[in-house]
Amino acid sequence: MVELAIGQEVEMEYGGRAQVLGVIGSGGQGIVYLVRYNGMKWALKWYDIDKIRNPKAFRQNIKNNITDGPPSNKFLWPKYLTKENEEGTFGYLMELKPDSFDSFVDILNTYKLSVDPLTGRSTKKPVRFTSLYAMVTAVINIVNAFRQLHRAGKSYQDLNDGGFFINVDTGAVLVCDCDNIAPDGNNFGIGGKPGYMAPEVVRGVAKPNVQTDKYSLAVVLFKLLFRGDPMEGEKVVKDVCLTESSELKHYGQNAVFVYDPEDSSNRPVRGIHDNVIKFWRIYPDYIKDAFILSFTSGITEPTKRIIENEWQKLFIRLRSEIIQCGCGRTNFSCMFERPDIKTFKCPKCGTMFGTLKFNNRNYRTPLYLGSVFYECEIDPESEDFQTVAGELVENRLKPGVLGFKNTSSKTWRAKMPDGDFYEIPPGKGFPVWQGLEIKFGDVSATL
Amino acid sequence: MSNMKENTKGSSDLLDIDDDDPLSATSVSKKSLVIFFLIDTSGSMKGKKMGELNTVMEELIPEIRRVGEADTEVKIAVLTFGTQVRWMYSEPIPIEDFEWARLRADGVTSMGEAFKELNSRMSRNGFLNSPSLSFAPVIFLMTDGYPSDDYKEALAELKNNSWYKFGLKAALGIGSEANDDMLAEFTGSKDTVVHAYSGGQLAQMIKIIAVTSAQIGSKSMTLSDDTNHELSEEEVRSAKQKLLGQQIQDSMTNLGDADTMSFDTGW
Repeated sequence: MVELAIGQEVEMEYGGRAQVLGVIGSGGQGIVYLVRYNGMKWALKWYDIDKIRNPKAFRQNIKNNITDGPPSNKFLWPKYLTKENEEGTFGYLMELKPDSFDSFVDILNTYKLSVDPLTGRSTKKPVRFTSLYAMVTAVINIVNAFRQLHRAGKSYQDLNDGGFFINVDTGAVLVCDCDNIAPDGNNFGIGGKPGYMAPEVVRGVAKPNVQTDKYSLAVVLFKLLFRGDPMEGEKVVKDVCLTESSELKHYGQNAVFVYDPEDSSNRPVRGIHDNVIKFWRIYPDYIKDAFILSFTSGITEPTKRIIENEWQKLFIRLRSEIIQCGCGRTNFSCMFERPDIKTFKCPKCGTMFGTLKFNNRNYRTPLYLGSVFYECEIDPESEDFQTVAGELVENRLKPGVLGFKNTSSKTWRAKMPDGDFYEIPPGKGFPVWQGLEIKFGDVSATL
Repeated sequence: MSNMKENTKGSSDLLDIDDDDPLSATSVSKKSLVIFFLIDTSGSMKGKKMGELNTVMEELIPEIRRVGEADTEVKIAVLTFGTQVRWMYSEPIPIEDFEWARLRADGVTSMGEAFKELNSRMSRNGFLNSPSLSFAPVIFLMTDGYPSDDYKEALAELKNNSWYKFGLKAALGIGSEANDDMLAEFTGSKDTVVHAYSGGQLAQMIKIIAVTSAQIGSKSMTLSDDTNHELSEEEVRSAKQKLLGQQIQDSMTNLGDADTMSFDTGW
């Protein structure tokens, strides 16, 4: 391992030098340094070349990735290669993660360690999503990033908790460690992280590819929502000591999902897997069913795994079903009472929430002051899950009167209490009333 | 009024209002890894060896801290053996909270006693009592001499301990008195035994072994590059111990001679 010293300079492929300012972190394949190059600060991933099976091919793959560019701005993508030194060691520069992003590892831990540089003592600082909205948005962003990657014909290969940074206030996501990303079907020796690897990779019968990425993605999503390991339950805990053979068994040959409806041998254990037990009660069935499918049939039949687009739809629905009650209770609509088909009721304070029925959904979407819907929800052609198209607001001149505001760029038509449809251009609003109908275009909705 | 309250409660059997916040999660259940350091504190360790060892151990703790990440809680237990066998702390300490207490050298080398003590604590009722899953422990022995007691029987007993069997074992001989064959008896293979003849080597080797074994120990099985067939239990057994031996040997060949002043000169 050729480590770099602070102050040392590394020659870049196309001229110039990057100067090492400090260490950011280390991983299985090398060390990440903070460097200055062309007057800007960058992250330099510097390889332990002994850990790379075929350095020439590996370098060429990074070069190709640099040329292709990132699938979207959600990736901390390789930007510039360094020259190879005498030992054949090299690295690449990527942009630094903004301070407002925390690592997924810290989110799972619920804290990050902040170390005093003088004493070396560490203190724990909490890391949590500040809203349910931000958390579900983060899930949508992760799924979307992998959808974009797979559409570009590439696979990530070693998808795991070290691969993301997330803004816990907004749910924005940055995918890092993009150096093993390769055209689907190629593999440069990386196997992946145990627990995240698809069972067929653990067993040794497959190399990482787009299908195994899908399994790993399901594990990442499960960990983010349920805060536990989908395959670690009673059966695994019985082993006490997790040896190589027991891992091969529990994550490869005989992996059993903790909530497999047909096999109860591996249920979560109270006292150890409390998160999973608690959150399994909270999420709606359509989310749980998707995980059950991923971790039952999806174990042996890679083609049964949920595709990114499907996940994206499920989580966009989940986001639309978050109810923020004025009493402070925020939860998914399935955790609210349902006095009748059109109404949700807060079990804590009794507040009633009306619902909107879109003609392209077979479920009702709850409404509350501040609830929003997005472009992709009112335009079947749109993939935009980030631009707010409409919002439920209070009339500024008539307090207590609620209405929808058109924040999209298209004109809608809405049925008013006089029974006629009126045009609602962008920026305008209309009141919510019993017989309300909205025509967004192909999509329409009724109260 | 009280009736109404009861009704609300009754209807919300499924909805435990106090504990259904989708955001209030505890840390994911971590697997645990205990790293045992068995350190010779006999009189011959006095001076430069002990000084070097104390310093490197202090520096090592922050490096190991980064190893576990989200999945593994790494704990440290230090057993010292001079004339007496002593634990630095009465139980394994999580790496975030661990502080190195500087050791002093004195007396003879009661290594056999140390093996007995380790054997008695390496159990579910002893130091490996984490309720969740545990990785097999890392056991790292450092000594500069030959046991002054009868270690053979104690080692034989230790070898029957399942935690020891599955554990990752490594040993470091310090100076020319330490016996590599005896250390290989302890680790089970020559690959995981290294030898330091100078202070610079000692510091480098302790770091390499401790960090490498913590990494392998806490990261669970890694896929070997050249597998393209269904793995059998037989093939993966002791895969980590083999990997540790391989990585230690690789690191040793890259190791520069940091200083030439031998431990055994100038006394």
